[in-house]
Amino acid sequence: MKWITLALVIGLMPSASFAQNGRGGLSGTVTNPDGPLARATVQAKHVATGAVFTAISASAGRFDFRDLPAGAYEVSVPGTGISTVRFVQQNVMVEAGKSATLNIVVQKANQGVLGDDNAYLAIRNKYANVRGPAPRMPDGRPDLTGMWNASVDPNPTPAALLPWAENVWKQRNANAQRDHPDALCLPGDPTPTIPLLHKFVHTKGLLVQLFEQEPHYRQIFLDGRAHPVDADPTWMGHSVGKWDKDVLVIDTTGFNDKSWLIFATGLPHTDKLRMVERYRRPDLGHLLVDLTLEDPGAFVKPVERHMTWELAPGEEILEAICNENNKFPEYAGVK
Amino acid sequence: MRNAFLTFIFIAATIALDGSTVAAHHSFAAEFDITKPVTLTGKVTKIEWTNPHAFLFIDVQDKQTGAVTNWEIEMGSPNGLTRLGWTRTLLKNGDEVTVEGSLGRNKSNLANARSVVMTATGKKLGAASSEGAQ
Repeated sequence: MKWITLALVIGLMPSASFAQNGRGGLSGTVTNPDGPLARATVQAKHVATGAVFTAISASAGRFDFRDLPAGAYEVSVPGTGISTVRFVQQNVMVEAGKSATLNIVVQKANQGVLGDDNAYLAIRNKYANVRGPAPRMPDGRPDLTGMWNASVDPNPTPAALLPWAENVWKQRNANAQRDHPDALCLPGDPTPTIPLLHKFVHTKGLLVQLFEQEPHYRQIFLDGRAHPVDADPTWMGHSVGKWDKDVLVIDTTGFNDKSWLIFATGLPHTDKLRMVERYRRPDLGHLLVDLTLEDPGAFVKPVERHMTWELAPGEEILEAICNENNKFPEYAGVK
Repeated sequence: MRNAFLTFIFIAATIALDGSTVAAHHSFAAEFDITKPVTLTGKVTKIEWTNPHAFLFIDVQDKQTGAVTNWEIEMGSPNGLTRLGWTRTLLKNGDEVTVEGSLGRNKSNLANARSVVMTATGKKLGAASSEGAQ
């Protein structure tokens, strides 16, 4: 990870501001190649205890931890949409009574191809001040309707794969994921992990999700029906949802084995895949998405992801017909 | 053996999670070569405002030989570009631009664009939204 080396610990300055023994500070800036990165989450994990401290960068990209236990830290900045990739630096030392400086340079995702990041940062900053209670359905349940700017898991846990799946997955990445179904205008990934805009239309008996990727829509039946018996396997499977207090729990089965899971991770799976999603809307502006993927045919244990999506009420889903002019198979030499 | 296996999984998966293949349609490395950066200045001959990618075509003249070559420049999707402030008529045939990007792996006179600057105004197109995001 060559960009990790771009971060420099440029100084440890004595300070009188740390009242307690054994504590110190850590501050600096977060920038991407375009300039300061505001509202970036900086995570400092105290290696000795596992405690994680977080700070949000200000408008000039400045972050400031003022009261940390001394010791070694792993400092990370989660990826933001398709705009920037995850940054991690190990062995950042915080000394008692001193303030360390760490200036972080996060790299653009996909080498910063113009227009590929879908203006993620601009959109999330535009709606940073959305406040209010979560809207409710007539029956009192949370209404999940809205335009959502989806995000990645800030702390993804690596999947544990069975040997065959491990081999397939390694091969995919060795080939720069050139055979990804998404690149061939097929449905790439049924999981809610693609950090692009999603529109939710929530009615009493049906939740519809719209997005600018194949197959552009997803239906989640909330009317109490069961999964069909012996249904044909499909790219998106069959989804039914029910409420657990204020949490909508969606169960999806009936997948084919053709999609690649969890966005850029690209995990293989079998038709034994079961996906469980738990959606919570604690307030107007946030949707908490907890994902569990079970596949005894591919995973050693279930794979989890936890995302926080943000409301983007002024945005819209736009048409995106992938097969209109897909030159990728020819230009990348994919047969 | 089992522990060694799981350790290997952890290392490999960490690389992928941190990897740079993150993309809306296809990964950069599948089509372009980051080790071959290119800067091209030329006049617009065509725009393909299409999914999944918009393409900009420019005539680039070799200053020494005078030979003109038509280059194809791949960008993101029309939707992504629209959200950065582009429109399908932003560039017109004959407009001169300078493109910075990387060369295609399998096709000559193909590159992608990390930036497009309009010569007449010096304006970096499609960058205002993200760069002004603070």
